[in-house]
Amino acid sequence: MTAPVVEARGVSRVFPMQAGAVTALADVSLRVSAGEYLSIVGPSGCGKSTLLHVLGCVDVPTAGALRFQDRDVATLPDAERSRLRLREIGFVFQRFFLLPMLTAWENVELPQAEAGIARAERRARTAELLDYVGLAARAGHRPSELSGGEMQRVAIARALANRPRLLLADEPTGELDQTTGGQVADLLDRLHGDGTAVVVVTHDAVMAERAPRLVHMRDGRIVEDSTR
Amino acid sequence: MTGLRALRFAWLTIVRQPARSVLGILGVAAVGALLFDMLLLSRGLVLSFRTLLDAGGFDARVLATDMVPFSGPRLDHASTLAAAIRALPEVAAVQQVRTVRATAGDRSVASAMGVDDGEDDGEIEIVGTDIHVHPVWTIAEGRDVAEDPANGLVINRHLAETLGAKPGSKVTLRGRCGDEASMPPPVTFIVTGIATFPFDTPGDDTAGTSIASAARLCGERDADQADMLLVRSRDGVGADTAAAAIHARRPDLHIVTNAEIVDQFSRLQFSYFRQISSVLATVTLFFGFLLVAVLLTVSVNQHLGEIATLRAIGLTRARVVAGIFWESVVMVGTGGVLAVPIGFVVAAWLDRILRRLPGIPTGLHFFVFEPRALGLYVVLLSAAALAAAAYPMRIVAGLPIAGTLRQEVVS
Repeated sequence: MTAPVVEARGVSRVFPMQAGAVTALADVSLRVSAGEYLSIVGPSGCGKSTLLHVLGCVDVPTAGALRFQDRDVATLPDAERSRLRLREIGFVFQRFFLLPMLTAWENVELPQAEAGIARAERRARTAELLDYVGLAARAGHRPSELSGGEMQRVAIARALANRPRLLLADEPTGELDQTTGGQVADLLDRLHGDGTAVVVVTHDAVMAERAPRLVHMRDGRIVEDSTR
Repeated sequence: MTGLRALRFAWLTIVRQPARSVLGILGVAAVGALLFDMLLLSRGLVLSFRTLLDAGGFDARVLATDMVPFSGPRLDHASTLAAAIRALPEVAAVQQVRTVRATAGDRSVASAMGVDDGEDDGEIEIVGTDIHVHPVWTIAEGRDVAEDPANGLVINRHLAETLGAKPGSKVTLRGRCGDEASMPPPVTFIVTGIATFPFDTPGDDTAGTSIASAARLCGERDADQADMLLVRSRDGVGADTAAAAIHARRPDLHIVTNAEIVDQFSRLQFSYFRQISSVLATVTLFFGFLLVAVLLTVSVNQHLGEIATLRAIGLTRARVVAGIFWESVVMVGTGGVLAVPIGFVVAAWLDRILRRLPGIPTGLHFFVFEPRALGLYVVLLSAAALAAAAYPMRIVAGLPIAGTLRQEVVS
């Protein structure tokens, strides 16, 4: 078996609310190997996004353990978790969350600059990534000048900027029409083909079917984990 | 590098909302200008007064008693006393000063100018000094009294206009010494020059002459009296040392240095302005703090999703917090720089208004620039920027990434 990139063991996430605690994840265990491609599906509120956030080290489980490349994430200080997200994890969000004051080029260059990549290398990598997602000609455009599909492709390029081992996509086609969503899904397929581990949370059955491994969730638990 | 990136990010955040940013910067500029003016006012009078006192080059005063100058008893044997003090190794120069009130004779100028100018009966202050020592006035036109020791007179511009006099004119003055019944005979002088006197107010009629001529106006032929002696300490000695030496020789006299006079005025007469400026400076600083704090807090709350995204893609908490700090610095810094020239213009305008108050010497200013005021301004504004950024920085530092991203999607 390939070494896991990230592994959740018996993870639970409980949100304390005024009306009573809400259990978003209950004793979830999931192992994502290097270069793997899996989709997480399930009804709204079943804990898909929460699991994605925990795997991406932006949320901390209430119970259980999360190991990223064999390191216990719970023991890492905040700055080290930030470093992990910067260098090892790429995030793609449903709402793109590009920085509106930056151009497509600058959005892609930002994580590299933060990682201390040299200017020349940054320029080459940014050009390569924008070309990879088919937006070389739109490099100087701000997000407000791009279509939804183009914004999502810039977001994917940004997520790949520091060559992460794991790409986490939360409803990446949720805001897109069928054709544009298909283009983004094709891009994720290509990424997987290039060796990046991809985890996609989606409501879109067609999108989910593209992944060799399908994880079904309900009420904060994994009810089915199948590989084709 | 990280700091530069944070600064650039802050700048981009500011320019993306031009209306908010311009309003914020203008607000800071207005508040900053007022703060700057209050700092200029807080010590302006003291500095200006000190400059006036120092203008003649004398740094201590010798009086018969501790009463206000020109209101107490005179110094007897003034020239002997002046010579004795001058002989002290700590002293470089001594000037005798005697003032006399006088009026211009009705036909004094008319006889010289060929016109009848008998309407002016205003009081003139005559300053008598030792003409062999550096004068207490500055010649603006013509020559000094020393050119005509017996009858020479320098007059200020206002008196020259009042009397229609100019260098070469004859002026007859009548001293007002003691009661009306014993009014001394008039004395005719020749105007040698037009001079400026450091403590003149705009409406003052002032003239300067020799101390003997001043005494003559009071009908005193052989009087050797002075209201006070002005003392210049020797270079490198200092006024305090000179004052101590004089006191050791004549403990019966009252000696006061310029610094002591300034200190006394600062604590008593000028404290009113200092208090006003302190209160207004505090209020303006508080408004500046509130303005920037509100703008930054609103800005942060509008961009929580972006901030959470930055954290999610790997920017550290410190890096994102630094962005807010720099945003505050850029906003307050830009407004603060703009505030300085605005502050100078407003200060000049307010100074003109305040100097119209009656009894204010022409050379006295309320708003005076000093590097210390600028330094204090920078420190206070920096503190306000930091304080204003504190709450929004706290919001950003404690922002839950996952919760915020979820909230952004739901909203």
